[in-house]
Amino acid sequence: MNALRLFWVLALRNVLAHRVKSLIVGSILGFGTFLVVTGSAVLDSVEASMARSITSSLSGDAQVYQKDTRDELALFGGGAAFGATDIGDIDDIGPMLTTIEQVPGVEAVVPMGIANATVFNGTELDRVLERLRVAARAGDVAGERILGEQVRGIAATLRKDLEAQVLATSDKVKVEQDLAALDRVLSPAFWTELEADPLPALDWIDSNVAPLASDGRLLFVRALGTDLDTYVQHFDRFKIVKGTAVPPGVRGFLFADRFYERQVKNKVARDFDALIEDLDEGKTIAAEALLQDNVRRMAEQYPRVLFQLDPAQVADLTTRLRAELGRSDGDAAALLQQFLTVDDTNARARHTRFYELIGPMIRLYEAPVGEVMTVRAFTRSGYIRSVQVMVYGTFEFQGLESSDLASATNLTDLVTFRLLYGKMTEAQKAELTGIRARAEVREVSRENAEDALFGGGDEAEAVAEAPVAGAGDAFAIAEAVRAAPASDAVSDRVDPRDFRQGLALNAAVLFEDGVSVDAGIAAVQSALDAAGLNLRTVDWQTAAGIVGQLILVLRVVLWVAIFIIFLVALFIINNSMVMTTLERVTEIGTMRAIGARRSWVTGLFLTETVVLGTVAGGLGAGMAVAFLLWLGQVGIGAPIDVMVLLFAGPRLYPVITLGNVLFGLASVVGVSLLSTLYPAVLAARVQPVVAMTQKE
Amino acid sequence: MSGIVELKNVVKEYPLGRTVVRALRGIDLTIDQGEFTVIAGPSGSGKTTLLNLIGCIDVATTGEVRVGGQSTGTLDDRQLTDLRLRKLGFIFQSFNLIAVLDLYQNVEFPLLLQGGLSSAERRQRVEAIVDRVGLTPQIRQRPNELSGGQRQRVAIARALVTRPAIVLADEPTANLDSVTGASIIDLMREINHADHTTFLFSTHDSRVMDRADRIVRIADGLLQDDGRGEARA
Repeated sequence: MNALRLFWVLALRNVLAHRVKSLIVGSILGFGTFLVVTGSAVLDSVEASMARSITSSLSGDAQVYQKDTRDELALFGGGAAFGATDIGDIDDIGPMLTTIEQVPGVEAVVPMGIANATVFNGTELDRVLERLRVAARAGDVAGERILGEQVRGIAATLRKDLEAQVLATSDKVKVEQDLAALDRVLSPAFWTELEADPLPALDWIDSNVAPLASDGRLLFVRALGTDLDTYVQHFDRFKIVKGTAVPPGVRGFLFADRFYERQVKNKVARDFDALIEDLDEGKTIAAEALLQDNVRRMAEQYPRVLFQLDPAQVADLTTRLRAELGRSDGDAAALLQQFLTVDDTNARARHTRFYELIGPMIRLYEAPVGEVMTVRAFTRSGYIRSVQVMVYGTFEFQGLESSDLASATNLTDLVTFRLLYGKMTEAQKAELTGIRARAEVREVSRENAEDALFGGGDEAEAVAEAPVAGAGDAFAIAEAVRAAPASDAVSDRVDPRDFRQGLALNAAVLFEDGVSVDAGIAAVQSALDAAGLNLRTVDWQTAAGIVGQLILVLRVVLWVAIFIIFLVALFIINNSMVMTTLERVTEIGTMRAIGARRSWVTGLFLTETVVLGTVAGGLGAGMAVAFLLWLGQVGIGAPIDVMVLLFAGPRLYPVITLGNVLFGLASVVGVSLLSTLYPAVLAARVQPVVAMTQKE
Repeated sequence: MSGIVELKNVVKEYPLGRTVVRALRGIDLTIDQGEFTVIAGPSGSGKTTLLNLIGCIDVATTGEVRVGGQSTGTLDDRQLTDLRLRKLGFIFQSFNLIAVLDLYQNVEFPLLLQGGLSSAERRQRVEAIVDRVGLTPQIRQRPNELSGGQRQRVAIARALVTRPAIVLADEPTANLDSVTGASIIDLMREINHADHTTFLFSTHDSRVMDRADRIVRIADGLLQDDGRGEARA
């Protein structure tokens, strides 16, 4: 004990006696500790946040899917290319659900499947023509006139735009043909003709004028099909923003609210929203060329508003815009363009007025809440499947409202997913069997195909329509019904049993509080193996794909930086301690002569560095604690979208634990000891005779 | 009765490049308990080498060195260290105090290495020896705050605090003026008389030799005179 005290006294005094050396080495060690404590605390906080965002939004604590698949599960993307991910199918989720639900500590199992689909609602002209067609069929003359006016309004705007292209185009003939078509639609004679026999005239507009409108948009949507009731019950960050949740027992679709606002919203409205967001961030239109360009583009998008309005609405809007802009002349198009050409002084006010004046007149969203939309997807066998589904509302994950990545996945029910995925229902399979029976289609093997096609004479026609497929392959069988109606009239009702049986691609497993994820995964995997199910269980981090591995990348970057700093520290400490050893040879020799053992000398040198490391590390750790407490108050902003997901929100408020501090101190002491090992051994080799030979 | 130090036909050789330097060439010597002995000789005669062998900080090439009845040739480094710690005290020409420790801590140092004493016992022993060398007022001063003579007194106190059987001093007055040197020798002589501690010096200072009980003369690594016949009362 007393010898230890002597160690400390000697060490501390030697540290103080060699101030410059101690200051240099101490600074490096202190900085290293600061970095270790800060870095590990921030990364731990990021990992905890990321776990919260990912587990409580899509993945659950673990995911189960097929073993031996071509691609790995990547819930947030990053696996294969769009639409091509192959993580296998769980043909019947029943046995899986029963098996996992019996594992102790499992709170819930939520079957899932992701489909990449498209939504195309056509142009405004398409929509008006469709309504005109309905009015014509119904003999609604008044309706026909109003809608006819709207068509003429759209045609007039299109003509104006096209005139501007005449000089610039390389295909003048085509532009002149289009102008002639528009002139025909704008002529009174055409409308007289249409009133007499509307449908051929409308078909002519469909063929010759409708393609000129370019305001239609193909919307790509990523949809997670799941048992929505169970999902909502167990993923506690889920919150409905617009509309309602999908009621039990029906099919339905929920858009991620951010996706809905940024992708589904009317282009003019979302451009205006984006402009205001930029201004809120402190940018100004006057200073930013990009914003000036955005304003110009936004004003050019005015047809996306105007095309939606019937003549009465156009007249109403014209009056309102004149009052708004203090003008006594100008048509709706010119007024709308002027209204949308904003600057820093009026942008916010006009944004508010846009939603007050124009918002209520137009379809603000391409797929409005409460309406049925048609979703199309390429099925696994390559054909396009269209499914109609009601949009019930929008949702967000609390804390991740501003993350595009977290909002990239929309939600639908498992049955709609199966339809989009191309899995046939039992009723469809029965219908197919009926079709095949009526058409007298029979299957032939690959080996007999040639004979069947060319050698059998009258059999050829029937065989040519038959797919070459393995019996019982639902996807391949579906090829046979490609000629069937593209948009399936599938019931909106859902049988609750569909969530306990049938196809899914993966399933989220949520564990009860207090159950470790690793232990839970091991128990689930063991149960699946025992049940003979060819399924694997992965943790949420693996299931998240590249996003889940980001934390690993961040850790590697941090540890490489720390390793480099400590490597430099190691060399500097080593060199300075070797120098110190050489300077202190007489002192060491004297100690040895007086009776200090080699181990004592080694211990003395190691203690000296430990003292320095502890003091410098303590200061570094103290600064790190202060810095992290401050960061915990102000937060760290997420610079890019993926960081919003990692931070579980737009800012990360890191938390420091005793473990971070102890880890930092242990690291610095470890490095100190390692770097002093050689000088300490060198010092222990000093012979006591040196004390006698050293003369002043 | 055998001496506290016994050397039998001791040879010490040092390799120097391709040649071998024979520092001691067959020394036979016995030092008895309580003697105040000087090893005298010109520079390079081998007196420091002889002192190193007796002080167990070097080992003989051939021959036998016995200290306190133990043959040092058979001991490993650890045993030699323990032997130095418990039976020997060292006084160096350059004092060799530990610069970062104060006077008290320098003197206490060997006791801490030895262990076994309580804090109070150590304090009592350190204060007593410091008082004996006349440095009580300076007890909390660092070596760089002391004069040469005071530093050597501290070195004496440090050598004596463990109550060793033998104190070895390598030219203890070489770095001191004549008056201070004389007072240091007087102090050692006084302790020798009082405690019967064996003192063994190397020196070529005639004033030190004048105060010795016995002068062992050495030249070219050979014993010229073992001083038995010239011992003074």
